[in-house]
Amino acid sequence: MIADILDGIVLGLQFGLLAAGLTLVYGLGGVLNLGYGQMAVIAAMAVAFARDAGVPPLPAVGLGLLAGGLLGLLLDRTVLRPVYRLRGEARVLLSLLLTLGVSFIVDGYLNWRYPLKALTLHIGGGAVEILGVPMRRGSLVASAITLVTVAALFVFFRRTSLGRAVRSVIEDEEGARLVGIDPSRMLRLILVLSGVLAALVAVTRAMVSPVDVKSGLSMTVFALIVTVVGGLGSVYGALLAGIILGIVNVVAADLIGTYISLIILLGAAALTILIRPAGLLGVKE
Amino acid sequence: MSDRLTGGTFLIGGTEVRSSRSLAGLLIPIAVAGAALALVPLRLGNSRVLMGVAVLGLAYACYTIGFNVIFGSTGQLFLCVGALAGIGGYGAAILADTVGLPIVTSILVATLAATLVGGLLSFVAVRRSLGVIFTGIVTLIFSLSFEALVFGLGDLTGGDTGRLIKSGADTFLRDRIPPYYLMLALVLVFLLVHELLRRSHIGWALRALRDDEVAAELAGVDVARYRVYAALIGAAMLGLAGSTYAFTEGRLSPTTYGFGEVDVVVLVMLAFGGIGTLFGPIVGSVTFTIVDEILIEFGQLRHVAYGILIIGLFLRMPRGLIPTVASLWRRVRGLDRLGAAKSSDSAAGKLEAVSSEARSAE
Amino acid sequence: MLEVSRLAAGYQGNDVVRDIAFHVDPGEAVMIIGSNGAGKTTLFRCVIGLLGPSSGEVRFEGTDITGMPAQRVVRLGIGFVPAERRLFPRMTVEENLSLGAYPRRPDPETLAMVMDLFPRLAERKRQTAGTMSGGEQQMLAVGRALMSKPRLLVLDEPSTGLAPLLARATYEALRVLRERGLTVLVAEQQVPLAMAFSDRGYVLENGRIQTEGTSAELAANPDVRRAYLGVT
Repeated sequence: MIADILDGIVLGLQFGLLAAGLTLVYGLGGVLNLGYGQMAVIAAMAVAFARDAGVPPLPAVGLGLLAGGLLGLLLDRTVLRPVYRLRGEARVLLSLLLTLGVSFIVDGYLNWRYPLKALTLHIGGGAVEILGVPMRRGSLVASAITLVTVAALFVFFRRTSLGRAVRSVIEDEEGARLVGIDPSRMLRLILVLSGVLAALVAVTRAMVSPVDVKSGLSMTVFALIVTVVGGLGSVYGALLAGIILGIVNVVAADLIGTYISLIILLGAAALTILIRPAGLLGVKE
Repeated sequence: MSDRLTGGTFLIGGTEVRSSRSLAGLLIPIAVAGAALALVPLRLGNSRVLMGVAVLGLAYACYTIGFNVIFGSTGQLFLCVGALAGIGGYGAAILADTVGLPIVTSILVATLAATLVGGLLSFVAVRRSLGVIFTGIVTLIFSLSFEALVFGLGDLTGGDTGRLIKSGADTFLRDRIPPYYLMLALVLVFLLVHELLRRSHIGWALRALRDDEVAAELAGVDVARYRVYAALIGAAMLGLAGSTYAFTEGRLSPTTYGFGEVDVVVLVMLAFGGIGTLFGPIVGSVTFTIVDEILIEFGQLRHVAYGILIIGLFLRMPRGLIPTVASLWRRVRGLDRLGAAKSSDSAAGKLEAVSSEARSAE
Repeated sequence: MLEVSRLAAGYQGNDVVRDIAFHVDPGEAVMIIGSNGAGKTTLFRCVIGLLGPSSGEVRFEGTDITGMPAQRVVRLGIGFVPAERRLFPRMTVEENLSLGAYPRRPDPETLAMVMDLFPRLAERKRQTAGTMSGGEQQMLAVGRALMSKPRLLVLDEPSTGLAPLLARATYEALRVLRERGLTVLVAEQQVPLAMAFSDRGYVLENGRIQTEGTSAELAANPDVRRAYLGVT
């Protein structure tokens, strides 16, 4: 049981971080990026190709993070341009549809060209015991990196003036403009950040299990569900929901079976949405 | 509030209120479409593969009409089209094979189940005042749960590998051509039902509701009830089509009713044809089926084309083909009218042009 | 300092205000008065850059700022306190104020000045803005606008939703700021308050400037007295 919970936390942290990226973009820009999982996959592929070409692990990972950031920038500059002209629900819908189209293009191309490609990052060394449970080093390193990233995000948003500026746009876009903050520049920044986070999650995921070209859609769906349960726009909500759902997923899968546990997970998510549409930590309108 | 309206009208171009036409005016276009589609087996009847594709295309046409009734009329984004059809399909297959019910009974019971589920989803969404996006997410979750359920109950459903349907194996349902006409009959019936729905008081209420929910409520339209009605009818269509198709296909697998295979495709078909229009689903499904078949050798690369299509569609032609063509046509005709009315004062001339546009709508 | 000429602005093609011309000279206190719906808010939003003008010109200290987006206008030395305040509800008083100085770091001297002016804010440094009362939020909104050390402060109906005592206190604070060299432009529905505070004023009716003059002149104007000062 403890092993399950620990595994669940490892999984949950990653999905929480992924969801955080998605929820930030939504909270700041009212944009739902359904191509998010594909961004993670592209970053993973970038790292995989770099490794194939003989690039050492750390620079390869750096390349992946760079790729993720660039994808975010690209999205902002191209696909989302027409979306920015709209407001409110229309904006969300169009962003949803356009990014869905983009995810098709990426998914189709990658699966056609490199159908078997996957990224795996081996962390050498034996298992380490945590609370009496032998954990793979890969899982531990992945979790450590995720936690450090979460802490970094925390510091960024709480302590730096740029982070505060970003928060202010989420709080009140017009108010932010009145203090000299340009919301579209902040959105661009957050999109780049979300791309980097996606890449980071792909990389840490690869330390636990292979990330292949087909995982794009499932990553997007999980990120979306965690985001919604946590509360659209709430980073803490995303992290909390991620951990909870991660634990539920692993524990239920062990006790009952993969598919039924998935249904339980989905059902729990749906229930949360129905009982409390604002999500766990979301803001009630 | 205005954001909701913008969202609705952005996707679903308001169709004009049409002056009542006679029943003939309704039946003729449907009959023409039916006749045109009926000719297909003459061309493709020799190939089992191509007929299979055609039957599947008609099944998708049915799904799209059902989705159109739910989404096009009331703006409820039901991303569980495949799942509802799957309740029909898997349900009927299990009832016929495992439980031993006659085929027709199985289809009816399974359709009923799908109807009830669809109605329940709508009821819950209405009760909790879920907007378009949340309805989409909740129904997406339902879709994924259904897929997981299919995998999970492997004994009943055949899980990953799918199951064969023994019932009806020796009937006309598995022949080359009769299933096509069976599905075509369903398509025409669904079109009829949709059109009758539009003309009924339910249709009026649904249009009012879609265009301005607040005004509709003030006018006495019980928004909740009509939303659920639309969902019930649409879900019934989906369940019926899904179960009928199952028996003609003889084999089911999770991909038959999967989200990626059905819902996404149906959305593209309808968006292309014209959300809310009567023949939009037909235009969309026929086009898509043909294009998909032509591109089949490109495998996964087709998805790239569809992605580009989705982006182009929602950027340039969000209301779909039919409304776009219709307004282009109207503009051409409208200009003609204005020219003719140059002698009368401009206000009257404009009124003339506008009313003639209304008369020749669609 | 601020020159507006032939300005027109509105929403979705319909102009709410037309042919607006007024000016504010350095050191002055100018008011724009008018009843509800006259277009004061639309006018201010257009001047500050939250709304694009359909025609006309706005110049600040010689620079043409017509149609310039708000986030750039605000950096030129104009502070704006909108009628809805537009604070950051889940952020603390401290955070709201320091954001006022963006992109620069909050100047401790300015911060001290604001705290001095509004002692209530000093007491509630760590309180989140959303939990404060209307009067406190008003103070915070003004304080935030002051953090960027503006040369011109524009306020849209600062007395809205405030008890008379608090509204007077707000204008007291503005008076103090004027003594320190701040130029103020204020739109008001509560005319007596604005009149006591301002040097000059313009009357906005149905989207147009109908009358202008010094406060004294306006106070003596029979139409103004009838419409806004409750004199029959």
